[in-house]
Amino acid sequence: MHAWTRPRRPETLPVQFDRRRIYVLPTGFGAFYGALLGAMVLGALNYNNNPAFLLALLLGGAGLASLIAAQLQLSGLRVIAVDAEPVPAGSAMRVRVHVRAAPDRLRRGLQVDDGIAREIEPARLDLDHGVGEAELHIATHRRGWLDLPKLRVSTTRPLGLARAWSHLWPEAPLLVYPAPEAHGPPLPVGGGDQTVTRVHPSGDDVHHLRGYRPGDARRAIAWKHSARRDMLLVREYEQPLGADVELEWQRLHGLQHEARIARLARWIDEAERDGCRYRLSLPGHPALGPGNGAAHRHACLRALALLPHG
Amino acid sequence: MAKSASAAVAPAAPMPPIRGGKPAAIALEPGVRRWALLAGASCLLPLLLQLPPSIAAVIAVVGIGVGALSWRRAQPALLRLVLVIALVGTVLVLARFSFGRDTGCALLAAMFAIKPAETYTLRDARSLIGFALFGPFATFLLDQGPLSLALGLAASVFALVSLQRLAELDGVAAPGQPRAPAPPARQQLWSVARLIGIGLPLALAVFWLFPRLAAPLWGVPDRALARPGLSDRMSPGEMVDLMNDETVTLRARFNGDAPPTSQMYWRGPVLWHFDGRSWTQAGWFRGLPPPAFQPSATVWDYELEVEPTDDRQFVALDLPLNTPDGSRLSHDYGLYARRPLAALSRWHLRSSPPRKFELDLPAPLRRAALELPVGYNPRTLALAAQWRREAGGDDAAIVKRALDMYHRQFAYTLATPLLGRHSVDEFLFEQKAGYCEHFSSSFVVLMRAAGVPARVVTGYAGGYYNPVGGYWLVRRSDAHAWAEAWLPGRGWTRVDPTAAVAPERIYDTLADRTPGAGGLFGGIGAVTPLFNLGDWARRGWNDFVLGFDASRQERLLQPLGVDRLDGPRLIGLFVLFASLAGAWMVWLSSRGERQRDPVLRAWHALGRRYRRLGLERAPHEPALAWAERVGKARPDLGVALLRLSQTFSDWRYAGSQAGRREARELRNELVRALRAHRPGRTGEPR
Repeated sequence: MHAWTRPRRPETLPVQFDRRRIYVLPTGFGAFYGALLGAMVLGALNYNNNPAFLLALLLGGAGLASLIAAQLQLSGLRVIAVDAEPVPAGSAMRVRVHVRAAPDRLRRGLQVDDGIAREIEPARLDLDHGVGEAELHIATHRRGWLDLPKLRVSTTRPLGLARAWSHLWPEAPLLVYPAPEAHGPPLPVGGGDQTVTRVHPSGDDVHHLRGYRPGDARRAIAWKHSARRDMLLVREYEQPLGADVELEWQRLHGLQHEARIARLARWIDEAERDGCRYRLSLPGHPALGPGNGAAHRHACLRALALLPHG
Repeated sequence: MAKSASAAVAPAAPMPPIRGGKPAAIALEPGVRRWALLAGASCLLPLLLQLPPSIAAVIAVVGIGVGALSWRRAQPALLRLVLVIALVGTVLVLARFSFGRDTGCALLAAMFAIKPAETYTLRDARSLIGFALFGPFATFLLDQGPLSLALGLAASVFALVSLQRLAELDGVAAPGQPRAPAPPARQQLWSVARLIGIGLPLALAVFWLFPRLAAPLWGVPDRALARPGLSDRMSPGEMVDLMNDETVTLRARFNGDAPPTSQMYWRGPVLWHFDGRSWTQAGWFRGLPPPAFQPSATVWDYELEVEPTDDRQFVALDLPLNTPDGSRLSHDYGLYARRPLAALSRWHLRSSPPRKFELDLPAPLRRAALELPVGYNPRTLALAAQWRREAGGDDAAIVKRALDMYHRQFAYTLATPLLGRHSVDEFLFEQKAGYCEHFSSSFVVLMRAAGVPARVVTGYAGGYYNPVGGYWLVRRSDAHAWAEAWLPGRGWTRVDPTAAVAPERIYDTLADRTPGAGGLFGGIGAVTPLFNLGDWARRGWNDFVLGFDASRQERLLQPLGVDRLDGPRLIGLFVLFASLAGAWMVWLSSRGERQRDPVLRAWHALGRRYRRLGLERAPHEPALAWAERVGKARPDLGVALLRLSQTFSDWRYAGSQAGRREARELRNELVRALRAHRPGRTGEPR
């Protein structure tokens, strides 16, 4: 069933759900309800009991109307985009599915999951004034482009008798960073001039004194100066920032392919934490940097993530 | 923007548990569970009202008890099993181990009553609701009265609302995911009503056109515990319950003349055998072919609509000239249906008062019509013997003498003590007051003792004319018993001793004949038009819905000139109309939900009207910005539109000081203005 339904290959967004790709099938309870009504109809016909017959028909009519209503919940839904913040492999990626629809119909309580695979937790999708998003938590196992599973947008509303669903197989570039190494050697010491400094609460050179602010460490208070000036003064230090760090693939010989990637990923994070500028050189790749900041980090991790699997 | 390495290693969010295989059972929240239980109870209620009170009380008490006991936590399986066995046993004992439609329904109701004890997951709740929907269905099998219909329909709607609540739980079982609060009850009711309304055309098309069974696939089980109807047994003093029952038992519409009320004798069971206490129907000769009778010139042609009972026998004006399909006549012209009259049935009959009825009474029948129990009522026998001596061979004189006696010495009353062994003696010589059962019974005993063959006839007398619908209705309270005496040269002759005492009892059925314990409509003149109208509506419902069967279906298109709808044509018509209704359903559903606010509706419509000009308002565009944009492109429209937009945004966003009524007037004015604004392609707006 899963394989027969549309779409049969990943597709580019945006995607609009229309009747050609919306499927409606009774749920287990719907089948039970149908059997129940069948029994009622048979009994009512046999006894020529018209109120009972009419009751069964009304219930049946409401059931059919609920099938149509379920289909209409999905019909006209437009999946605009799928996006996610990149995460290191092994942690769950929060994938947001953005949908739009004409605001004329109430669409609440839709469900997004991966159908019968049940590998991801279903997420709720509500549309307010025609705009809504669902957040899925998708497990990641390996670095690189994430292969999104065939997603299913479904609903059993209004009566729970039938499930209307449509499959969505977005071709969305979702990147999974390599998992950083858990324990490893510290960041290599950088070279170059150490001109870049930053103020740091602990360090070697006293930079200057400033007034006490709540939360300052007690040992940072310059007691002698404070006594003289009749107010609490705090020392601030200046930490020389490490010089540009060279992160080179070639230097990490003796390590496996994936282990090198993991170590480099960890070093990138450490360099970011320490505020160093770093340069990443990978084989078959122009060197990245030196630099730091979110964009640089993303460029480096992306390059790492997209290295061929060795 | 520094990010620690350790934080990057730890997953950004705790990994949600990955589900595998079947989904876990979804637990019900207390609120949703309460809804489901209440819906189940509402489905059970109409059924309980139709069951015998003792059984209904037991089931109701157990249901409430189980509901309260398992309100917070599930009961052990053992307790549930014990409950099931105990309750089923109790119901069976109360039903005296007789099996029928009502016993089956009682058992069904008993099962519902225990169901709350195991209703904790979504699945349980759904199966509860599913089975509960059988409640109204079973009720309709027992009774098709307006109360059952109203309660059953309301319960079904309630059940659907509850299903809707349950559907909201589907698939959002993930912990930590917030669930939207349930929409208000009115909105839920509305959306279910909408579903039913959308399904209605299809339901009606199928109802009229779905091929009906001419003969049932399996028999209709009787009620095991019958309601009082016209019984084939009469014990004087026992009919009083019936006399106070104002339920309609049949309706008749006459083609042509109707008989005068004094001639409306709806003849039912004929009772031959007297054991000193009760009268019962004839024995061996019941199956004989009916004897010939000579009808008089008067013929009544009428359509009879018989409310459901569980007997086969029904009544006709005496005597029927024809035997409608599906019925047969017994030897004494009793009409029997081939099937129990479990559903409303209608019969086309022609009747005529007999001029001569069974002129030659065969000897065995004569013996049966003279038979009296030995050792009962000595004074009556003596009186009859004395009359016979005085009258000689003139049977008619004896009849007249008896009627004279009743007329002069007897009184009509419903308050009678229970009679002893010599019941007829006590009635004739001491009590001298009673009602139709006493009169007819004592009269027949007198006649038989005097050597005049006689028998008791029960049925209904009179009727009430409903001027709204132009038909007659007969209630159970019109139940009556009279006598037939066999006179030479005339055969069986109707004699009504009650009429000799209390003619108004027969001629005027609407009068309040039981002071103090008057019937619902007895003597209350002011209610009569309302009652007439109500009963007319009821008859219409009967006509349109309850009495619809295979033969009526065949004649469905008669007004359009199609004489008979045969099978293939019917199926073709059914398919055609069902698909039309289905298409209509799709159209109705896809129209979407209308904007509730009339101002917003008019505003959106106004925006859409600009689509032709390519100037439609974008969803994100404020009213005034849009009007300005339009003004630049079409200066001729701009001013009017700007003014409208200004009014609209004032109405929508500025606080209003106006009173309620004023505000409504303002709103209506705005809606009118919005609707009136129609941009033309060029030039001035119309």
